[in-house]
Amino acid sequence: MKQQIIRLLPAFVTSALILLWQIIVRLADIPLYILPAPADVIRALFLERHSLLTHSWVTVSEALLGMAIAVLLALVLGVMMDAFGSFKACIYPLLVVTQTVPVIVLAPIFIIYLGFGLAPKILTVVLMCFFPVVISFTDGMAAIKRSYINLLRSFGAGNRQVYLLVKFPAAFPSFITGLKVAATYSISGAVVGEWIAAQSGLGYYMIRVKNGYMMDKVFACVVIIILLSLLMNKAVLLLKYLVMPYTRKHKI
Amino acid sequence: MKKVWLSIIMMLATASAAGCSGENARKAEEGGSSPEKVTVILDYVANTNHTGLYVALNQGYYTDAGLEVEIVEPTEGATATLIAAGKGEFGISYQEDVTIARTADNPLPVKAIGTIIQHNTSGFASYAEKGITSVSDFEGKTYSGWGGPGESAVLEAVMKAAGADFSKLNIIISDGSGFEALKDRADIMWFFEAWDNVKAEMNGFPLNYLELRQLDPRLDYYTPVIITSESCISENPDMIRRFMAATAKGYEYAIENPESGAEILHQYAPDNSLELLTASQRFLADKYRVDTDTWGIMKDEIWDNYTGFMVDYGIIKEAIPAAECYTNEFLPAGKEAAAAAQR
Repeated sequence: MKQQIIRLLPAFVTSALILLWQIIVRLADIPLYILPAPADVIRALFLERHSLLTHSWVTVSEALLGMAIAVLLALVLGVMMDAFGSFKACIYPLLVVTQTVPVIVLAPIFIIYLGFGLAPKILTVVLMCFFPVVISFTDGMAAIKRSYINLLRSFGAGNRQVYLLVKFPAAFPSFITGLKVAATYSISGAVVGEWIAAQSGLGYYMIRVKNGYMMDKVFACVVIIILLSLLMNKAVLLLKYLVMPYTRKHKI
Repeated sequence: MKKVWLSIIMMLATASAAGCSGENARKAEEGGSSPEKVTVILDYVANTNHTGLYVALNQGYYTDAGLEVEIVEPTEGATATLIAAGKGEFGISYQEDVTIARTADNPLPVKAIGTIIQHNTSGFASYAEKGITSVSDFEGKTYSGWGGPGESAVLEAVMKAAGADFSKLNIIISDGSGFEALKDRADIMWFFEAWDNVKAEMNGFPLNYLELRQLDPRLDYYTPVIITSESCISENPDMIRRFMAATAKGYEYAIENPESGAEILHQYAPDNSLELLTASQRFLADKYRVDTDTWGIMKDEIWDNYTGFMVDYGIIKEAIPAAECYTNEFLPAGKEAAAAAQR
């Protein structure tokens, strides 16, 4: 009984907060152009479901493509940094620097060189997502006990076997942790990319409805972004469940 | 615990129903001499549209009117919302924005009280070498805009009028790209002549430019305009009148002295070169108050024209009377001029 209550507690707290939001907006009579009530947002979600769906599709494809490139880049850079110490010394600080440059500075440059299509949005996703993956992956490989590798070497294993048999499996848990962070960022990364320049996508939709003082639709769009981000996060957990069966202690 | 909730609700309630510089106005009445604090929220970073405001601030016109004015630049275009919420007394907005705000599902209680420039000095710009010399050349081109509600309707209307196929224009929303992007990435952008064209010219970037009001007289709407909230109008009309008188004086100064007007603006907008500001100021000097004796004055006809346009193109659901969107009553020339304009 007690356990059930504990399990339901998060849902209860969230519902209570939403209810409180609804009550405050109505009691204080806050106008729609400042803060919409949850009921307004739900109504907007329903009325706008078709536009939201088509724009979501665009944003999700940008996020997925960006993630794919980010992961690929992270794997290649990660292995290279692990294999060559001097390469790591040169690149690692630069990777940190890429995370400190505000996107608003890069935006005009992206447009000039990549145009208004999908490319600048995908690049924004890559820029935001590859960092957590590459860092966690490299650190995971660096943390392996030297004795494991020595054991393999003593059996005459080459570099390829060292990576395949020890380093990759051992670094996989931390790789997944980085991937989880990246996946959660990927949708908002694509939205930020759409703010720079777009003709479709959730970021584009959001600018249009904001300019029309339709805050209920802006919030409906935010709800979709939250749901999609959670979905991406869950997808990584599913991947972990499939690839690492030995960690299936908990249900997902 | 109950008290905490109540106070939170009360706080939010007062925040949303904020009046017009309530506290300060009361203080001024009590103290007599202390100036009223007034906040002006610009539409964008400071530029030559705002010169009159900065002149009035710099030359002490506001102080003489018993006002302590602070001018703030927003990072995001939420000026009308901020004015409606009482976060500032005056804002810089556009006719289109005011009409849309007034006809939103939950209308914003804002009103235009003066236009800064008499005519719409914006239009469509393209790189000269692309040979886009008329609207019919827009077919198959890429237009880069900001996602305003009426934007695509304006394009559709002018292309239709020229017999061009609007569906062949590629429209995208973009932020943060200047005239450079007209070369490679986009073909057409909406430019404000006093700023963007002057900038392009200074950088030796040749433009083809199609003035909006030449394409369709309905598009000669007021941009930018000064707005205030309805609570200010009902609570403190005298303050608005004093503010507008001082502001008008500031713009008259900019009309008479474009060079020193630019120099004053430069003190507040030091990121822009004085050269650009002076060139822009020279362009605007005879535009602020062209065709009229009273700076800031507006006409029903202009409001009705563009409101009708927006209804035709489904940007707003139904027409709204011009009188609900603007008033001339706070301009220094007062009611006689307002009546004359409507005649």
